[in-house]
Amino acid sequence: MSAAEATDTHGHGHGEAEAARQKFSSITRDIAWVAEMPKPPKIWYGLLGVSLLLLGMLVVAVTHLVTTGIGVWGNNNAQGWAWDITNFVFWIGIGHAGTLISAVLYLFRQNWRTSIARSSEAMTIFAVMCAGIFPIIHTGRPWLAWWMIPHPNDMQMWPQFRSPLMWDVFAISTYATTSLLFWYMGMVPDLATFRDRSKSKIKQVIYGIFALGWRGSARQWHRYERAYLILAALSTPLVVSVHSVVSFDFATSQLPGWHTTIFPPYFVAGAIFSGFAMVMTLLVPARYLFNLKHIITDDHIEAMCKITLATGTMVGCAYAIEFFIAWYSGNEFEQFTFINRMLGPYWWAYFIMVSCNLLFPQLFWMRKFRTNPWLIVGVCILVNIGMWFERFVIIVTSLSRAFVPSGWHYFSPTKWDIMTLVGSFGLFFTLFLLFFRYLPVIAMSEVKMVAPEAHAGKDDH
Amino acid sequence: MSTSTHDADNHEHGDAGAPAGDKPEGGGELYGVLAEFDSPGALVKGARKVKDAGYADFDCYSPFPVHGIDDAMGIKRTILPVVVFGAGITGTGLGLLMQWWMNSYDWPWNVGGKPTWSIPANIPIAYETTILLSVLTTFFGMWIFNKLPQVWHPFFRLDRFTKASDDGFLLGIEAKDKRFDLDRTTELLKKAGATAVEPCYHDPDPAKKQMPKWIYAFIAATTVMAMIPLALILKARASKSTQPHWHVIADMDFQPKFKSDNAFAAFPDGRANRGEIAGTVSTCSPGSPRPCDHDRHVKSDTAMYQGIEGGEWITGLPRSVEPTAQRLARGKERYDIFCAPCHGFDGKGAGIVPARVQKLGGAWAARDLTDVGAGVVTMPNGQLFNTISNGFATMMGYSSQIPVDDRWSIVLYVRALQRSQNATLDDVPADQRGALR
Amino acid sequence: MSAGHKTIHPDEKVKAGNFGSQLAKIALPLGLAAIAAAFLLGPSHTGYRHFQLGYLTAWMFVWSIACGSLFFVMIHHLARARWSTVLRRVAENIALTFPLLGVVGFLGIVLPMLAGNHDLYYWDYAHTQSHEWQHVDHHLAGKLGWLSSGFFAGRFVLYMAIYSFLAYWFAKTSKAQDESGDPKLSEKMRIAAGPGILVFALTTVFVGFDLMMSLAPKWYSTIYSVNLFGGAMIATYAFLAIFTRAVQRTGRIVHSVTVEHYHDLGKLLFGFIFFWAYTAFSQFMLIWYADIPEEVVFYNYRMFGGGDGLSGWANWSIALLLCQWAIPYVLLLSRWTKRILPILMAISVWALVWHWVDLYWNIMPNAAWGVDLETGRNTGPLTGLLEANQPQYVWHSVLIWLGMVGVFLGFVGTRMKGNLLPVKDPMLGPSLAFENY
Repeated sequence: MSAAEATDTHGHGHGEAEAARQKFSSITRDIAWVAEMPKPPKIWYGLLGVSLLLLGMLVVAVTHLVTTGIGVWGNNNAQGWAWDITNFVFWIGIGHAGTLISAVLYLFRQNWRTSIARSSEAMTIFAVMCAGIFPIIHTGRPWLAWWMIPHPNDMQMWPQFRSPLMWDVFAISTYATTSLLFWYMGMVPDLATFRDRSKSKIKQVIYGIFALGWRGSARQWHRYERAYLILAALSTPLVVSVHSVVSFDFATSQLPGWHTTIFPPYFVAGAIFSGFAMVMTLLVPARYLFNLKHIITDDHIEAMCKITLATGTMVGCAYAIEFFIAWYSGNEFEQFTFINRMLGPYWWAYFIMVSCNLLFPQLFWMRKFRTNPWLIVGVCILVNIGMWFERFVIIVTSLSRAFVPSGWHYFSPTKWDIMTLVGSFGLFFTLFLLFFRYLPVIAMSEVKMVAPEAHAGKDDH
Repeated sequence: MSTSTHDADNHEHGDAGAPAGDKPEGGGELYGVLAEFDSPGALVKGARKVKDAGYADFDCYSPFPVHGIDDAMGIKRTILPVVVFGAGITGTGLGLLMQWWMNSYDWPWNVGGKPTWSIPANIPIAYETTILLSVLTTFFGMWIFNKLPQVWHPFFRLDRFTKASDDGFLLGIEAKDKRFDLDRTTELLKKAGATAVEPCYHDPDPAKKQMPKWIYAFIAATTVMAMIPLALILKARASKSTQPHWHVIADMDFQPKFKSDNAFAAFPDGRANRGEIAGTVSTCSPGSPRPCDHDRHVKSDTAMYQGIEGGEWITGLPRSVEPTAQRLARGKERYDIFCAPCHGFDGKGAGIVPARVQKLGGAWAARDLTDVGAGVVTMPNGQLFNTISNGFATMMGYSSQIPVDDRWSIVLYVRALQRSQNATLDDVPADQRGALR
Repeated sequence: MSAGHKTIHPDEKVKAGNFGSQLAKIALPLGLAAIAAAFLLGPSHTGYRHFQLGYLTAWMFVWSIACGSLFFVMIHHLARARWSTVLRRVAENIALTFPLLGVVGFLGIVLPMLAGNHDLYYWDYAHTQSHEWQHVDHHLAGKLGWLSSGFFAGRFVLYMAIYSFLAYWFAKTSKAQDESGDPKLSEKMRIAAGPGILVFALTTVFVGFDLMMSLAPKWYSTIYSVNLFGGAMIATYAFLAIFTRAVQRTGRIVHSVTVEHYHDLGKLLFGFIFFWAYTAFSQFMLIWYADIPEEVVFYNYRMFGGGDGLSGWANWSIALLLCQWAIPYVLLLSRWTKRILPILMAISVWALVWHWVDLYWNIMPNAAWGVDLETGRNTGPLTGLLEANQPQYVWHSVLIWLGMVGVFLGFVGTRMKGNLLPVKDPMLGPSLAFENY
């Protein structure tokens, strides 16, 4: 760029500059509108009401569990954990797409991520919160969870760091911290926008404090962008490690169906798969509801459909390879486990898993299915169901038919199991709805940065 | 365009368009000027001009990072990545050190005989601590390098400045720059392509020239309050109390149950203990190869199980107990484990427990087993066995810890101890007495 | 994230000219000579097993690069990548070596087996034994149908046919676009890349299982081929960087491929070094932690087997951990090492060498199998029996490897014809203007 000859900038594309500024202010206005509109749409209240009801159910279920005991769940001698750990893995998986969108796609310079990154990150945090509930309550004495934090104590003991469950504690808490900071840091410039747009003093002060006094100065942006890149580069190996560690919970054991080396990448792919499905389940309706269709465009939704298809197919390939290796191993226990998975007492769960995870996403090969919002949401909900059942199949079928037939036992959930799962959706949706109303739901600064107008007024290369 | 150095909406400082250099009415000291450009590209060009003119204390403000501005302004690459790399290495080191120290050094955790320190199993946590420390460093490093949080700044006084978070591309030059001169700087900015240039003054109230005091007060108050629980915990850990623990959650500490030998009025004998129900049959059949010493119900051989025969303490040994050298060795081994802590290895009552008691100022000593005057030497074997089984005075019974057969071995060893501690020359075989002299 | 657009520099030499034929003329005879020398000079007392294993290692090495290049091409289309457009033609040409590689692989690996040499694969040897003998290893007996020379040969041909077809189709379509400039062809390749990668993935999984994992036919790991693929991608990015640089040294495509593209190759090299380490660690961790005898034998031999020095597999394992992962990983963390080409080239050569070591480490320990003729049971790492001081003939394997690389470069040379850039690809402009920010 040569600055020397540009003495008269006024002659240079002034109309273009004006159009660009209008584009930027319209981005600000349209996105801020979601939080600024005096009253959200009626359906928002309706959804919030339903979510709060479900959240209440969660509170009741957990209170009953804690005051009564783990016996209220359907766990039995064969299945010391079943439903609860399935929920845990499911929710952690949901969280992964958020980090993938915000960090991995950022590193791969996929600009379409900007419109969905913020809400996906929020989804990550809320999903991790939902996930965190289950390991804590499944101990039966949740108030002792702090024993897992290494600290000097009266018992003169330290946690056992060679246990995969301790790895989980570190992985999940690191993940929660990182996601929260990443989310917040991305939000600082947008909170500054909200601060500057707020009319009421209270909002100005609250948004102002959380915006930290951000001025959008070039020197600040320089460090901010470096920090954002580093956080993205750190989140990527982190997100891979988190679900790998979750898979270690199972795969370090010797139980057929749990012990297989593909588990870490297979869990990660499955997590991204389910997470993308959840992002679409949330955002496809939300973009209609809050009139964001020109920012979260059809192209973005299509790109997400493709990633769902790709990860779904990867997961499907992993199913096939697991079966092949079970046969190839020549190990009777392995072979039995996989035949039992397909034809045993939980055949129905296996059937749900394969059809929802492998078959339905194949519809996304067709453009028609990637553009019809109803079909997208339908397939995505099925994928979420399928991914929940994948964890159920892995955990419960393997436990219910372990090495010794005398230890075989069929697991059926009780109503408390089911209420806890359904209730956790209440927590998730409540938080998400509140987020959508009060915080910048789309990264305005990023959308502006990747808009073609961001290059307005520049010399051509 | 060049005439509109201030916008119509600049009402708060309506006199901002006054001839450059004049202070506005009631205005404070000059902070600098703020110029507006109409596009990102114009801002880059303007910034380059300002830099080329030799200014250093200036900055650009935009709603998103403008591509190419770093180069135009001459911003040096931040050292943040290097700092984060250092933090990452530190995180790995601390993670490994923590695990080694806690699981292998301070409290070696034995799990199925596996090594307490095996690096593969310690990698996942070291990996997470690496990332955690790096992330925290990145986040707070960005704050520190950017001097955040800083909710106060003179430019916030200008309405125009709010455009920096919406659609405006601004450039501010501070008055403290040595080349700054309001007229010439304004002129330079206009020439560099600014569509509007506006001076910015500090608030006339000198108290408002810095971050509001209440923010500092708030931060200080929050910090202090956050310390209170920690301080309470520290105090509780460092001080002594005669009060029992607080049981915030009772867990199973208080259960509706009776312990042994509690009183309970509802039973006719007033005791909570219930004895054996009449007609209880042992699961241990007579003639089984292993002695049924775990079975408290069958005591047909009273000499063996109670040390009593015909209502009297036995003075010999039960029929099935042979006084062999092997048994004596077994008795010594058991004695050294169970009895020596109080009675001492030589039986004189000077074990480590009484030593500790005396060190703490107490006067208690265990009984001297070898002193003829203390009564144990003359005690019948059966009574000695009974004392071991059921205890005496402050001594507790060991029947739950030492099997019957071993208790008799201990009796045998105690007898040997007594004899050796009270030995006379006559006890030494005649042909070896010469060696003692 | 430059939205820029550029056209090919007017002075650019985009034609391959005689580059390819020159390369083939030099590399092919040298490579063949080296392989022949290794065949004649190799250790004779183990039959041809060491030669065959060395040959397999070398072949898997060049397979890695061709396979990774094919993946590079397809993922480029699938992800609608822009930056890599300038490198795509080179990758297409490398992938085009597949039919020739297939022939070389068939001659060295499959043909001896069909001709009655059973030294390479233990399962192949097992087929020559009696039915009863086979059932001593019932784990093995069940899969001898899958692992039989005829079926194996058929699968090998199928894999090579799939790779060749994909390579040909993408290269042909891409070159057709050089003529017509039809943007629909880009769309066509993008659509084909989806199913193409699926077929490619399944093929690659079974290449790993069949050619390498079945060397220890009772051992199994579901992640094995994923790890192999990670290694292959390391080799591919390293090779692409070096080869493109070599092409540029002849004065071709010097303006089109810039440091920005090398920077991205360096990033991907870095990424796949991480991926390789991740999959390798996952495999190791799960097998090591569960400690199931039939699985852990793989690592047991590689951690404790062999002897001292070069014969000791523990030394190889530690070296691999440090040199294939830790050293290049730390070096590539910095932006500068990826942008200073001599450093990037040095790291790339290093990564290629250690990819070969990785393959050697996977393949060569299987040389230790033998058969106890009295019991009919096999010995060696397959059954967890560690043979100390199993000699290794590293120089011999290195010679075969260098020869194979020569042959491969010769093949690549024969494919380097016509344009070295997809001159009419609509994404070429953005790729030429590509900048890392």
